[in-house]
Amino acid sequence: MKRVHLTGAAAMAVVALAAAGCGKAAPGDATGANGAAKPAAAPSATLSPTTPAATSDVPKATWALYREVGTLDPIQAFDYPENTVVTALCDSLTRQNPDGTLSPGLAEKSEHPDDTTLVLTVRQGVKFWDGKPLTAADVVYSLKRAADPKAGGFYPSVFSRVKSITATGADEVTVKLKQPDYWLDGELSQMAGVVYEKAFAESKGRKFGTPEGGLMCTGPYKVGGWKAGSELSVVRNDNYWDPATKAKVGEIDFKGVPDESSITTGFVTGAIDGSYPQALGTIDQLRSNPKLTVTDGPSFASDAIVVSSLKGALGDVRVRQALSMAIDRKAYIDTLYHGDAQLPRTLANPGTWGYAKDVFQADWDKLPDPTVDVAKGKQLVTDAGATGKTITLGMTSEVSTINSSATAIRSAGESIGLKVKFKAVSAQNFINFFTDPKAREGVDAFPTVNYPDYADPAAFYTTVAAPDGSQNYDGFTDPQINQALDAARTTADPAARAKLVVQAGDRIADQLPWIPMAAPSSVLITRKGLTGAPSSFVYMGGPWANLLGGA
Amino acid sequence: MLRFAVRRAAMLVAALLVSSFVIFGSLDLAPGDPLSTLSGGRTLPPEAVAQLRAQYHLDDPFLSRYVHWISGVLHGDLGTSIAYRESVSAVISARAGVTLDLVLFAALLIVVFGVGLGILSGLRKGWVDTSILTVTTVFAAVPSFVAAIALLSVFSVNLGWFPALGAGEGFTDSIKHLTLPAIALALSAMAIVVRVTRTTVRSEMGREHVQTAISRGIPYPQVVRRHVLRNASIPVTTVVGITITSLIALSAVVERAFSLDGLGAALVQAALSKDFAVVQGIALVFVAAFVVTNALVDLLYAFLDPRVALGSRAS
Repeated sequence: MKRVHLTGAAAMAVVALAAAGCGKAAPGDATGANGAAKPAAAPSATLSPTTPAATSDVPKATWALYREVGTLDPIQAFDYPENTVVTALCDSLTRQNPDGTLSPGLAEKSEHPDDTTLVLTVRQGVKFWDGKPLTAADVVYSLKRAADPKAGGFYPSVFSRVKSITATGADEVTVKLKQPDYWLDGELSQMAGVVYEKAFAESKGRKFGTPEGGLMCTGPYKVGGWKAGSELSVVRNDNYWDPATKAKVGEIDFKGVPDESSITTGFVTGAIDGSYPQALGTIDQLRSNPKLTVTDGPSFASDAIVVSSLKGALGDVRVRQALSMAIDRKAYIDTLYHGDAQLPRTLANPGTWGYAKDVFQADWDKLPDPTVDVAKGKQLVTDAGATGKTITLGMTSEVSTINSSATAIRSAGESIGLKVKFKAVSAQNFINFFTDPKAREGVDAFPTVNYPDYADPAAFYTTVAAPDGSQNYDGFTDPQINQALDAARTTADPAARAKLVVQAGDRIADQLPWIPMAAPSSVLITRKGLTGAPSSFVYMGGPWANLLGGA
Repeated sequence: MLRFAVRRAAMLVAALLVSSFVIFGSLDLAPGDPLSTLSGGRTLPPEAVAQLRAQYHLDDPFLSRYVHWISGVLHGDLGTSIAYRESVSAVISARAGVTLDLVLFAALLIVVFGVGLGILSGLRKGWVDTSILTVTTVFAAVPSFVAAIALLSVFSVNLGWFPALGAGEGFTDSIKHLTLPAIALALSAMAIVVRVTRTTVRSEMGREHVQTAISRGIPYPQVVRRHVLRNASIPVTTVVGITITSLIALSAVVERAFSLDGLGAALVQAALSKDFAVVQGIALVFVAAFVVTNALVDLLYAFLDPRVALGSRAS
């Protein structure tokens, strides 16, 4: 037995070295333990977003994040560690449920008396951790701060259609809009809609959300101990306003474990009780461990290729389509995700269907699975006069997920008569393709795993395909997509809105501003005896930690 | 003594100045963007990026940023971490304890076992010497990250004797948590110390005055204590001093493997994410620790051997 473990550890070390440094990639890793191949995954629409409900209290649990928490300021939470912790500590105006649907949060009601007005009724009887009651002033302050670009937050664009936010009663906040915006309801379910105490935040100023300044929220947990760049512990809020979802774990210690072999060892030795891991190459090893439960759930994330330049060969939609139909996605999913992903019929993952699910499902059922058709691809490239042209892929060979994706694209491109060149950078610098236009110079495309902040494909599509989309890097524009997305944003009825989003999605799947690679599942690992945490992507935007408890 | 202290202080300041400039410069030349840590691989809204760049003076020219930083340091302000949104002094003070404990623990292992086994091996020819020699040959070749993985899989995963992660709280718990990391950190250095000590003891044993003393019937323990160990102590102190200072830098690897929130791990993380202020702050601490340890070693020389004038080996 021991020898087996030792070789396991050695394999872990190799993987750890290969993936060191970059926590952001795809869940799953080609060089992972050579565990048994998993049976083909169930479509993510049928994956359960929940685990069996917790029935007993647990004094303490240690939860692993891929790095230590940097800030608790909700408007600066943008990545896995911060979001996972802020959702445990704070409530949003609207609550994201494990299945992606929305229900009332700190706003007991949110109503649209007309298309350009949103009236939020502030829930009564809610207290902050310090015992002060939640008021309309706190809501107005939090929203205005999130909307203010000078506050240094990442969500001002959410409020681009907002004209004014005012308290119109003791428990009423009115948001006036320049144009109708039904996406705002969803946006207020995530970090942009988190409410914290005005007096507290004002008194802390720039230090708000830091270990020194702290945080004052209403959530099921409150901050216990936290030192800069070190373990953060949260303790149960015994006065939580919603007794039905009061936390069952007395204390959760959030620990940043960047090293893949460390997190694996941590789970095996019982030092870590749970995690929503990202790129974990040793997942099969953990799956087969009898002391652990690994659960797959629906995810918001899409594995895709970003087409970052339309000036080269990929500027021609026929070349993008040709490339897309030459990719062997089945093989890619098998090696990289060990089967824990499904073929992407649309760019958005089915896990993002947070409303009017039947509309999205009908569309999905109508669309074919992407299949490999090299002959047709070749023909398209010839038609486009692109045979022999070079496309340059931004990639890093240090992260095996990105490497696999780039390699899959290369063999696809070469099979249809394109030349494919890699622009390889270090794992750390890979992120610059997203943030730095200079890094993107001369790069036609690069791989990513990307996700919206709440369960709505539109929230993702708009960043990719809208003319002002934050991830639309080279002015991709398509009248049909723009029209459908604009109409969706101003449509009140969820089913009607979903139909418009589906139109945009179908067109995006055809025009390929990004080329979808896979629709991965979300992964939850817990030690045996712990249960209740949602298995879906909700931990990034809605309550999850308070659902955790003893089996 | 005063002159020695002044000279050492001057050396320390010079070392800190030069190293801070070199580190700042090389970090500036390295590709990457400090803000990328905040984005988690997605695109940050441009307004927020502009706001943060202004807040952290990221668009200022290199020299003006360096001057800004160094004048802050002179006023006791090490700057603010971008990744942790916290003052660098808070980041350092939160993490220094773990690294200090780890390095001291490892240094203790090196001194006790390294020097102890070296003397034993030097004095006892035969199977004791041969087995110590064989084992240390293997250990000397094991890098600390390999040692960390092997120790983890044997003593944490399989036997469950020691915890795998974290630094623990309180004295006994900390000892328990830091034992494996300290061994991983000390192992190869310890092996080298054993071998140097052994060779030195051996050669001192062979010297004329020692042989004479023995042949004259002076009790063996006394000969060893007075003539062999005393003379061997200078080279042994040198090698122990060097290995211990090298532990400070090596701690990064071990801290990462055992998920300890120490300075080394923070330094690696900060360097990768170009968190300038943190890299600079921790580097200053490391350089200072290096210079101070060396000064202590020099003090020891003078104490061990009165013929050595204080500070004469410093240059």
